[in-house]
Amino acid sequence: MFSFTKEQKVFKISDIKIGGQPGKHPTVLFGGLFFKGTPDFINTEKNLQNILKISKKTANPIIIDFFIRKEEHINNIINFIDKKLPKNVPFSVDVIEPSVKVKVLEHLNKKDLLSRTIYNSINIGITDKELNALKKNTPEMAIILAFNPKDKSPDGKVEVLENGANLIDNGLLDIVKNLGIKKILVDTAALAPGDNSGASIAAIPVIKEEYGLPTGCAIHNVVEKSKWLDNFDYAKRIVDVSSNVSIPLFGGDYAIFGSMKMAEYILPVIAWYDILISEYVENYFGVSPDYNHPRRKLL
Amino acid sequence: MLWEIKTTVIGSYPVDINRLELIKDYYSGKEVSWNKYISNAVNDMVNAGIDIVSDGQTRDPFINIFTRKLKGCRLRYRTEIIDKVEYLDPIILDDQKFVKRLIPKKNKLIGIIVGPHTLSESVIDLYYKDKKELAFDFAFALKKEIQILQNHVDMISIDEPFFSNSIPEYGKELIDIISNNLTCPTRLHVCGDISNIVHDLIEMSVDILSHEFKASPKILDVFGEYDFSQKICLGSVRSDNERVETVEEIINHIEKAISIFGENVIQIAPDCGQRLLPRNIAFQKLKNLVKAKKEIFCH
Repeated sequence: MFSFTKEQKVFKISDIKIGGQPGKHPTVLFGGLFFKGTPDFINTEKNLQNILKISKKTANPIIIDFFIRKEEHINNIINFIDKKLPKNVPFSVDVIEPSVKVKVLEHLNKKDLLSRTIYNSINIGITDKELNALKKNTPEMAIILAFNPKDKSPDGKVEVLENGANLIDNGLLDIVKNLGIKKILVDTAALAPGDNSGASIAAIPVIKEEYGLPTGCAIHNVVEKSKWLDNFDYAKRIVDVSSNVSIPLFGGDYAIFGSMKMAEYILPVIAWYDILISEYVENYFGVSPDYNHPRRKLL
Repeated sequence: MLWEIKTTVIGSYPVDINRLELIKDYYSGKEVSWNKYISNAVNDMVNAGIDIVSDGQTRDPFINIFTRKLKGCRLRYRTEIIDKVEYLDPIILDDQKFVKRLIPKKNKLIGIIVGPHTLSESVIDLYYKDKKELAFDFAFALKKEIQILQNHVDMISIDEPFFSNSIPEYGKELIDIISNNLTCPTRLHVCGDISNIVHDLIEMSVDILSHEFKASPKILDVFGEYDFSQKICLGSVRSDNERVETVEEIINHIEKAISIFGENVIQIAPDCGQRLLPRNIAFQKLKNLVKAKKEIFCH
């Protein structure tokens, strides 16, 4: 368990705080929706209240990560966010295709949703059109994906933040700061097993100590790509859930845990570890948990 | 004419990296491959008719290619030295093996090494506080790379651009460490105006001296004042200027050099690495270089 010498930034979006010294704030959990096919809004709406209820129970904030893969889904997904998501709940938009990213930003602006938006993500694939769209339609918070194809070690992740690994003209941090986005989350870019997958966890304390920024990753992706686990159906789900534990244990602030369906398993597990960490760091480092921490809520 | 000049390159070649493809590969879990970029560079050299090709140094700026893989180096905005510099694993070997598979049998391959003095001058030293000691450790590490490399390439070029600023009193010793007892020929490339250091360069234990004779034609005359044993790689087209030299202009330049050095001119090349030129310009310059050679040697 850690306490960092670098001052740790805490960012607030709507009612959710993210970042800080380990044990101060609860781990924020991002659950994904609409990975494949046509978005199922009816079932999502049914499950939404349940998910928010679990989050309220454990005190671990949950953020819905809306996958928007195709242009034709933009309107419906953003309308869903606008109409069905409670107004005090922030959300993230997870888009890969640059042309879709541009349109998503424009739609979010039109609906006046940018103040609740976490943009997932700014990475080495950024295009001039995306940059211009971000200047005109600036989200409140952005995730920087620290993927460096030249070097997958923690140092490589720092390099892409610092200077873009000579793949782009500026470091990703400068790009985001120049856009005027002050609330920055760093995603340490989990990779496949056998491809330096552990570096995404090892990079969490490195990046927090270097920049003091809220940091996390989608370590669950590594589990998904561990094909050998397919022979252990029951264990695979346990590994999937428990993999997220490594994030708060290494000082991280948030986990992107995959499908929202897993929320009911993930949230209590992370709450349990948040309590464990909080008890230790309060005794050893004097970091008291925030009023809205699982330790205050559940014990 | 009785001898044949070989066309070659100094090292780097323009590369246009598809960042979006890299990020999409990340999301789909596909392993990063640089083969496409190496192939583009090498195929251009071969198609232009170059006799001795390089791997194009497409992966990184030339310093980073080496510091990324040496122990004790950490890439930040610039490379930082944080521990004793030591050799870990082969640095450019896999790329040379890949190039060997790509090129026709009649073509030869030159392996490019950045020299120890240039490396020591390009980094931020947080460990040694003694440039000489750092430079020697780079030399010992590079020697290990070259010992492996010599079995896979036809020639090794040591790139020491920082010699043009000044050669330290231990400069010859550094080059001796890496060039002695090798089974393949060596070339020392120093770009810039080297007219004040020619007397030191001709003392270096290498087989070929390579310089920017096109951008600094006065060094032809300076060399003419000395007796020396090395052969010459004649910089014949500029690397810092997008104007494509005509074949006639290149022929005149080569003929002037031959009038001074005679049969000691055994290679013609661009003045320096071509990385900063547009790809079509770099290609055209190589083509004209090849045409100039053919004009001289086929008539």
